Amino acid sequence: MSPHPASPPDSEPMIRAAGLCKHYGDVQAVQDVSFDIHRGEVVGFLGPNGAGKSTTMKMLTGYLVPDGGEVTIGGDPILGDDLAARERIGYLPEHTPLYRGMRVDRYLEFVARMRGKRGAVMRSALERVIDRCDLAGYTQRRIQTLSKGYRQRVGLAQALIADPEVLILDEPTSGLDPAEIVRIRDLVIELSKDKTILLSTHILPEVEEVCRRALILAGGRLVADGDLLDLTGSQAERISLTLVAPPESVASELQLIQGVRTLIGQVQGSAQRVRFQVEVSGRFEVAERIAEQARTRGWRLLELRHESATLEQVFLRHTRGHGLAAKPEVSA
Amino acid sequence: MSRAWTVFRREWAAYFASPLAFVLIGVFVLVQAALFFYIGYPIGPVPLPGLWDGGQANLLTLFTWLPLSLALIIPALTMGAWAEERRAGTEELLLTYPLRPWEWVLGKFLASWAVVMLLVVMVTVPLAITVANLGDLDWSTVWVGLVGAAGLVAAYTALALCGSALTHEQLVAFLLSTLLLGSLWLLRMLVAYAPASLAGFLEQASPQAHFLDTAARGVLVAADAIYFLLWMGAGLVWNTLLLERRRLQ
Repeated sequence: MSPHPASPPDSEPMIRAAGLCKHYGDVQAVQDVSFDIHRGEVVGFLGPNGAGKSTTMKMLTGYLVPDGGEVTIGGDPILGDDLAARERIGYLPEHTPLYRGMRVDRYLEFVARMRGKRGAVMRSALERVIDRCDLAGYTQRRIQTLSKGYRQRVGLAQALIADPEVLILDEPTSGLDPAEIVRIRDLVIELSKDKTILLSTHILPEVEEVCRRALILAGGRLVADGDLLDLTGSQAERISLTLVAPPESVASELQLIQGVRTLIGQVQGSAQRVRFQVEVSGRFEVAERIAEQARTRGWRLLELRHESATLEQVFLRHTRGHGLAAKPEVSA
Repeated sequence: MSRAWTVFRREWAAYFASPLAFVLIGVFVLVQAALFFYIGYPIGPVPLPGLWDGGQANLLTLFTWLPLSLALIIPALTMGAWAEERRAGTEELLLTYPLRPWEWVLGKFLASWAVVMLLVVMVTVPLAITVANLGDLDWSTVWVGLVGAAGLVAAYTALALCGSALTHEQLVAFLLSTLLLGSLWLLRMLVAYAPASLAGFLEQASPQAHFLDTAARGVLVAADAIYFLLWMGAGLVWNTLLLERRRLQ
């Protein structure tokens, strides 16, 4: 039985992609993609169809050899002679390829043995993943007779069977019904407590719910990498305000405030209630100045808030003009 | 090595999970029995009669058919071994497990070899028992013939698996492997038409020279073992390289 690889020190990234490149014939699928993912991070991997997400994931897991660059998992090269890096990874590829003619329990036992589990350790691992993926009652069934949702659970179970430190999940909820999406998502949230996860998906609310960080790939290049709050917050320095004030003067006075760049909209409500969207430089300072102006002018300030861009806007902004640029799904 | 054993067990079970293996075994046993009893071996300069016509209490006719019939049946059995893994995408998962490609190749090879040997034994033993009841069969030639057949099957199977590893279409895999094994079988047919300088090489390169002239007649020769081991080794190494090449696609 293979020894479980020693965990890397916390300072070492669990996943390091350094300058990854891959081409298929004349098509450059992935170009100079680099990122680090640290222990315990749950990272969403976004991009239009054909952006290179799956190719990158295949290189991270060692299925594909990059044309350039290197992957390390917990400090060990994924293509190294020793198999320590592979032992740290659980992988669920897109389309969940399984031996469909096998029974669920026999398939999972096969995977456990392939991952070096034997005897009581193997039985305990089987019980754990069957319980965790809610497969009890389906273990005697042939995989080909299962619904897509249950096949996806079997795929997740095989990824989890060696209790890996890193999970790489390529569109785990693709094509599932809403109830099954929620189940898989809840499972990923539960797993995120003690695992490092890279999750590719087109369902943006899923990323917002599960991940704290996102990588956006477009045209084979990494075009954005950051915390979700930073990504959405940095895209639009925009303030929305509603106040009761003389509409004819308030617009011109707002434009004189330092940091205000453009008044985008003006909606006049009843009883002198007006609403503006203001593009600004330095949202906190400008908000403070607007509040001060309202106090000195005697305007009644009903609402003053910073408008964040949605992840969908961030996604579209970064991926516009790239590849097939499929519109992301915005609801599960 | 334990992972190769795990692969062996899965592959063995997979062969018998579909009706293909049963159909092929049934057809092979019936056709070989019919050829053995009624037709004989009419190919080549020295044809052999069927049992009823020749009245010889040996299995030479059966063994003489093996280099040709196995060149058809082994590709049919192994065509899906790698091609189906690629078509279904399961190779992607397996190649990310902490497993060395040669372990996977070895497990698949051993399972395929074992299935084909089961088939050969299922043909040989009933025919041997029948012949022994009709005449004075020298059982040692049967056992030695089976040992020789094991070498022949090992070489053929390792090469046929390479045909399957070259494509994701089972039919294409079958055709490639049949072409490969058929070409080997044809070498001896070409001896009669080749210049003298080449004829000796063709003769020694043909599987028949290392099976029909020795083990099939009850004689074990070390050179034959080396011949089959070389083909088997070449097939396994080629297969492993083809699998490694998948990572470079």
